[in-house]
This record gives sequence, C-alpha cells and structure tokens, in this order.
Amino acid sequence: MNITKQNKIIKTDYLVIGGGMAGLQSAISAASRGLDVVIAEKADTRRSGSGANGNDHFACYIPECHGDDFELVVRQVNMTMDGGPWQDPTMLRLWLSRSFEIVQFWESIGIRMRPTGKWNFEGHSVPGNQRYHLKFDGQNQKSALTKAALDRGVHIMNKTPICDILLNDEGRVVGAVGIDISEEQPKLIVFQAKAVIIAAGGAGRMYPGITPAYMFNDSACPADAGTGHALAYRSGARLTNLDMAGGHAGPRYFARGGKGTWIGLTSDIHGNCITPYQDKPSRENGDIASDIWPGSYRERMQAGTGPSYMNCTETTDEDLEYMLHDAFVSEGIDSITDHLKQRKINLRDSMIEFGSYNIGFSSQGIDIDIHGMSTVPGMFAAGGVAGNVKGSLSGAVVIGMVAGEYAADYVKTVEECTVENHPTLQARLDQCNALLNRQEGAHWKEAASTLQNIMNDYAGIQIRSENMLTAGLAYLRQLREEAQAHLGAANSHELMRTLEVLDQIDIGEPFFLMVLNRKESRGPHHRSDYTYTNMLLNDKFQTIVKTKNGVVLDFRSSW
Amino acid sequence: MPPVIDHKKCVKCGYCAQICPLDVIKIEVRGKEKKTVIKYPEECWHCRACEKDCPVKAIHMRYPLSHLMLHMKPDGGKH
Repeated sequence: MNITKQNKIIKTDYLVIGGGMAGLQSAISAASRGLDVVIAEKADTRRSGSGANGNDHFACYIPECHGDDFELVVRQVNMTMDGGPWQDPTMLRLWLSRSFEIVQFWESIGIRMRPTGKWNFEGHSVPGNQRYHLKFDGQNQKSALTKAALDRGVHIMNKTPICDILLNDEGRVVGAVGIDISEEQPKLIVFQAKAVIIAAGGAGRMYPGITPAYMFNDSACPADAGTGHALAYRSGARLTNLDMAGGHAGPRYFARGGKGTWIGLTSDIHGNCITPYQDKPSRENGDIASDIWPGSYRERMQAGTGPSYMNCTETTDEDLEYMLHDAFVSEGIDSITDHLKQRKINLRDSMIEFGSYNIGFSSQGIDIDIHGMSTVPGMFAAGGVAGNVKGSLSGAVVIGMVAGEYAADYVKTVEECTVENHPTLQARLDQCNALLNRQEGAHWKEAASTLQNIMNDYAGIQIRSENMLTAGLAYLRQLREEAQAHLGAANSHELMRTLEVLDQIDIGEPFFLMVLNRKESRGPHHRSDYTYTNMLLNDKFQTIVKTKNGVVLDFRSSW
Repeated sequence: MPPVIDHKKCVKCGYCAQICPLDVIKIEVRGKEKKTVIKYPEECWHCRACEKDCPVKAIHMRYPLSHLMLHMKPDGGKH
C-alpha cells in the first residue's frame, strides 16, 4: 500500500493542531476575531483528548466569590495542584485573571457551570483557604465547544493527525502536513497557514504504564502521545521543564484521572487516615493528599509502608451517591462507577487501592510567552503541551483563548507563503511509503516497548546518574536508528501509531539531555551523583532548543 | 475485547467508529455485508464514549482482568 496525496492544499489563517479543550477554545476565539480557522484533529472533536467525556473542576477567580484581593487569590491558588513551582508566575496570573471570562462564555453555550444554581467551589482545596475549583458539569463540553466552533465558521477536519510543521527560510510557520486516516489507505494533506497552535495534549505512553502489557491504560487520553512536543522540538521551538515531569495518581490497575473528584480519605490497609489534612471525608475540600504528593503511593510501597487506599467507607450516603452518579459523570470518569458495579464492589465497605502513575510530560514542554507564542514565529501552544503554564483545564483554555486572540493580530503582519514545493512534503511521503511497503516490518509496539523500558530503566523517577543517563541516551539513539530502518505499518491506523512512536523517541532525546544537564537533585529529579539542591538554580527553568549549530541547553529565570 | 457490540441491535451506522478517541472501532465491509468490529481492543481507553453515544444503545463495556479494581475491607484484609 502507498500513501496518496490530496492535490488541494488547505489554506487558512490559523491551523489548530488538536481539537481538545485548548484547541477548540482557541479556534473559537480566533474565529470570533475574524480569522479563517481550521482544526486538524486526530480523532473527532466531539469525543477526543483528555476532556473527551467531561471535566468537573475549573480553577477560577470570580471576584464576587473570592473578593478583590487578587494577591491573596494568587497565593492560595499557588498552593493547589494548579500552582506550584514549575509555572511562570506571570502565566499563573494571566490564566487566573481571565478564567471567569471562559466560565461565562461556556455557560452561554450550554455547559452547566453552576449545576446547583449557584457558584459552587469544591475539591482540590487546601483546608482553611478559600476554594477556587468551580464544580461544574462538563459531560457535554466537547460537543458544546464543537458546535460553538462550527457556528463561528471553523472548519473541522477529524481523523487528521498532523506530522510536520512547515517553516519558511526565515524560520517562521507557513503550514503543516497531516495524514487523513479515515480510510484504510492513508492520504497526505498539506496545509498552508500563517500561524498554527499546537494543542495536542501531553506526552503520554513514554514510560511503562501501570499495566505494561496494556499501554493504553492511562489516566490522560492515550492518543496524546507527544506529537505536539516533537513537532515543536523538530521545528526549533524552545522546550522547558521536561526534567521536572512527574505522574498522576488514581485506582492502581485502572488508570483514570480525576483523583480530586473522590470524596474519601487516603488510608492505610486498616482504614486509618495517613495524611494530616483532615480526619473526615469532605465533599467541600476533596482529598488534597493526592494533589500534593501524587508519588506517595509509589513511595510508600517501596518503603514497605504501603499499600494506600482511597477510603470512602466513612463518606456519607448522600456524598457517595453524588460522587458515583453525579460527579464522576461530570468529570467523565464514570467508567469507574460502571466498573465497580460490574465487579460488585461496594465503596460503603471496601476501599480502593490507589497507585502512583508513571511520568508523562503534561505542563512540561513548549516555552511560551504571554500571548501563547513559542520562540518560533507563528507557532503558538496551549494545554498539556505547554511547558511553563499549569492550571489544568483552565490554564489550557485561557491560554488557548489568549493565543487565538493574539493570532488575529499576528497574521496581519505576515504574508501568505506558498508551500506546494516545500521539501518536507516529499520527505514525509517517502517515509510513509517506506513504512507502508516494508515487508516483515516491525510492529510499532516493539519500538514502543523498548522506548518505555529505556526511559524507565535509565531515566526513571527514582534515581538518575551520569553513567545511567549516558547509556540510556545512547540506547535511545540506537532505538531510533533501528526503528527508522525496520518499522512497518499495514494501514492508516498503524501508520498513525508508528509515527507516534517515532515522535516519542524524538522527545526522549531532549528529555535525556535535560536530565543529564541538571546536575543537582530537585523535586522529582534525583541524581545519585549530585544529591544536593543547587540554590543557584532556584526559580530557574531549564530550557532546550535545537538549532542549526547544535542543541543549546540553558537555565532561564522564571518571570 | 473491551467494548462489546450487540450485533442484534447494532444498525452499523459507524458513529462509534467515528467518535472513538483511539480509533479502536471499524466498520468492515465484505461484499454487501457490513459489520462493526472492535479492531484494536488493546488500544481501548475504556472511556465509554461509544457506549454513551450509540444511538441504539448496542454497546456495553467489559473491563478486562488486566484492569482489575483492587479493593480491600478496612479491617486489614482479615475477613
């Protein structure tokens, strides 16, 4: 089988790569400013990405609820999972200050932002502080945002993952290359665009999951394979904070996000609460233990003090009913409710073991400015792929909005640039044809398994050293060479997965270089050869950029 | 095989195949016959999008034993 090529070039002002929450919101904001907007989405925007089935918490600042002391708000939000050290303080202020605009807009398009009739803040909260996580019902969020985008003239191309960004000789964005996977035979699609936003989510599946034989058992959407990171790095965009990546937590062998939606207490095997934050399950606060220390479940197992459980046996009947049949549905994790029912597990008498999930690069990645633009002119980023902003859903969609607005100004400053003879097109066609026609080609899972092993064994979350990292990087490069020479794909679906794993290997490289270069221990990064924390690196983010003259690593000040 | 299709109910409209975030489901055509097939079961995320959106409610989710929900009574497993 060969890949075909669509003759017609899709021309647009603003190409949105990934129609998840950040991408859809960005498309809507850009189209509202009069731009011609195209979304290229790997799956279908109505049910794609980590927000596919819903969300129930939206971190936000609503002055009528939180008062006028914005500095207090910033300080308290910084104590939640949406704050913390690996976010530029200016970016925190940016998404927080504009979060209410999104809340009002979403309410206007039929997303229930106050299902109880009033602004209700629950969960992810530090006891004693004001609460900032608006409890909303996001089960229809993807269909509502898709409709809002279509209503504003956005053109959505589903089943079209992007594999290249096209730059002109000056290094600015002029287009992209995608692959239509809707049929068995793949088709190359060429985009000519004045600007793009990468909103392709985090980079999951880089490390072995909790059930290594089942790679798609992941808390974030497993379609988010890091292609956005790879697109940016290959295009010369600066990345940041890959060395500070950690993992999520949740039911041990059934990976789901939404740990903050549980109403219970983190407990030991005897049902005794093991955290200092509260002694009774609280619907208002949730259990912040898993936000503050999501690695605790792994560490307690390794220390021999585990296992640890989410204990809902003391949760009131009313709260338990609400959690299982209301909150989990809003958050889109009612697979848990369904699974518990099928297994006849009653949370009234049984605790659920929680585990720490493996490293994923989400909120570590592309270094962006206050307009959401990367260091490559015309390349914006928002959501899990951005590296210096957090805020979960709120951070993702506010930055998506900001980028869409700024793109409206940016595109006026650049000329359209023809891409039909761009050298990347033929190179990508040749590569796809090689993969599709390789007899006895290696299956993508072979390379994915080795990538996960190398990442875990040589750059795991536990301990790192110069020798281990040097060896791991060498093995990663060996894997890339072998994978490029031997991988094969039988159809468009397998081609998508094969290109994903090649992208993942591409991201492994800057990650290894960054952890090698961080000659200290800090946060989740433990070096056996540099056990101290170097105070000179406080408030500094490590960055990496690939240039024509080689790779440049640096530590920049946070701003 | 995580999503289970009730072929007696399925109208082969292809909506589940269209919206699956992981591209797990396909409509296979053999001559005049069409069939909804779980082609890549190991890539299922168990998100239930197909189950929720199926217009004729022909899909339910089966959670594989690999994804077992580990649970314990708070008496330390004595009973």
